[in-house]
Amino acid sequence: MWSAKTIIAIALITSPLWISFKAGAQTNADCLACHGEKGQSVRFSDKSTRSVYVDRNHIKQSVHAAQLECTDCHRDITPSTHPSEKAKNPKYKDARDFSIQQANTCQRCHYAYYTRMLDSIHFETMKAGERSAPVCTDCHGSHDIKKPGTPRKEINERCGQCHSDIAKTFGKSVHGELLAAGSDDAPVCTDCHGAHSIIDPRKPGFKASSHQLCAKCHGDEKKMATYGLNTAVLSSYLDDFHGSSNLLFTKTTQASKSAIATCVDCHGTHDIQRFRGGETLSKDQMRERIVKTCRKCHEKVPAAFADAWLSHYPPTFKSAPLVWGVKWLYRIMIPLIMLGLVSHIILHLWRIKTGKFWRHL
Amino acid sequence: MSTTTKMKKVNGTVLIERFTVGRRIEHIFVIAVFVMLVLTGFPQKFFDVSWSSRIIDFFGGVDRTRLIHRIFGLTFSVHALVHIGIIIVGVLSSRMRLSLLPTSADFRDLFATLRYYLGYQSDKPTYPKFDYRQKFEYLGIVLGGVVMVLTGLILLYPGWFAGFVPGQVIPASRVMHSNEALLAFLVLTIWHVYGSHFSPEVFPMDKTIFTGYIDEHELKERHQREYERLFPEKTGTTPEA
Repeated sequence: MWSAKTIIAIALITSPLWISFKAGAQTNADCLACHGEKGQSVRFSDKSTRSVYVDRNHIKQSVHAAQLECTDCHRDITPSTHPSEKAKNPKYKDARDFSIQQANTCQRCHYAYYTRMLDSIHFETMKAGERSAPVCTDCHGSHDIKKPGTPRKEINERCGQCHSDIAKTFGKSVHGELLAAGSDDAPVCTDCHGAHSIIDPRKPGFKASSHQLCAKCHGDEKKMATYGLNTAVLSSYLDDFHGSSNLLFTKTTQASKSAIATCVDCHGTHDIQRFRGGETLSKDQMRERIVKTCRKCHEKVPAAFADAWLSHYPPTFKSAPLVWGVKWLYRIMIPLIMLGLVSHIILHLWRIKTGKFWRHL
Repeated sequence: MSTTTKMKKVNGTVLIERFTVGRRIEHIFVIAVFVMLVLTGFPQKFFDVSWSSRIIDFFGGVDRTRLIHRIFGLTFSVHALVHIGIIIVGVLSSRMRLSLLPTSADFRDLFATLRYYLGYQSDKPTYPKFDYRQKFEYLGIVLGGVVMVLTGLILLYPGWFAGFVPGQVIPASRVMHSNEALLAFLVLTIWHVYGSHFSPEVFPMDKTIFTGYIDEHELKERHQREYERLFPEKTGTTPEA
């Protein structure tokens, strides 16, 4: 082991190194002395330029204001390595190249989020060579980083910067309208897709398990009470062939060969509207609307096929007498038959093994 | 079921044929099909418990499990049709007697047996070729089988059936298929396994359905009325129809 003396000696010998390193570090004020004024720009190797002006207020209002210095993120900047506009060999190809490489710096503190992001469709797209795929700063901002989701609808605005068609469609849906009204209950993009580990929604596993996403809110009695919505949607879906199939697919290793209907196949995804359309439909109109939905997968089924769907409410004597009747028939018959058979067995065993009679007990 | 009964003598004991070769093969066939249908069907019924996903993965996924279930289901359906067809032809050509059809005598036997078990009757009841317990089981598997075949077909082709039955029949069939399966499974594992394995009269196993033959002492003990029918000269009774 090293003695205390050796350690002190090493510290003393190396002290000029770390003292000078500390002296080389710049404070935010040092940086802003130049970068706080407009007019300066940086040149990249493809000859493009970008202003290096930083708004002091952005830095001040950022969540990092109290914790980070400029050089904590811009780690390669020291007085000796500071690039100049006239630099002969700029390090970065263009501004996007700088953003992509600079985003690596976030993982030094936010490692968990960073690794999750590595599983995302965004990172896969980036890896495939699409440089416009988002990096940390594209969603969170850079100098002006705020607490995410303040306000919530800003999350959708961020996603909408690239996914503008979907953002527009979503805005017109029941969820979009609720979000616009400022409700905290309304889902935003990240509630269903996740934030960092966004998986490709076209992957079969995402669709098969999507009912669990909807159920997060639609199975929540407290939340649904506000809107007078039925919370039996998930249990009734799982009672149905489609639901139990999809649940099995989420729990087993093989993906489904044929698409099995989940919430979104009948209700839509980003364009969800009230199934009844807000107006009161007659029974026949309702049936027509349901069977139209069925025919998306079950081609050419007759109108009566609509009645195979028992709605999201448990079957009752009034709503589905046949299903209700069969259910109760077995609920009574199975225990009665088993009780009869088991008592017969017990009586038989007891009679032969003891030779006694019940009557003489 | 044949009207003439084959017998053979082995080491001085008379063996009476109870099941023809066809029936013995049929029984083994039904065991195999039933086991496969339960293995591929129950994980679908109990979709939310942990072992179901393991069994489904064993068969190679949900789609594959369903394919196997449907193949065995259709095999069972064809067998059920052939079985019922043979009975119809056999009865019409009077080459078969319906020894498994319940009669009023079976109900009398049931009550006599219960009275005997409880001690209200001292004579041990006698039974015909097939006693009421065996008839209950046979009828259960035939009627239950018909229910399973019909509801299974409706579930396999729901769109086609909706053309001429009310749509509600489809979810009702699902409830029926699933519950009838549970009932059949319970009757088999409790009643049938007791009757042919754990009952002290046959423990550890009643091999008649596999060998096809029962010896005359066992026949006399357990199916006395059949014994009297076959050997009227030994018992001094007039044979029953």
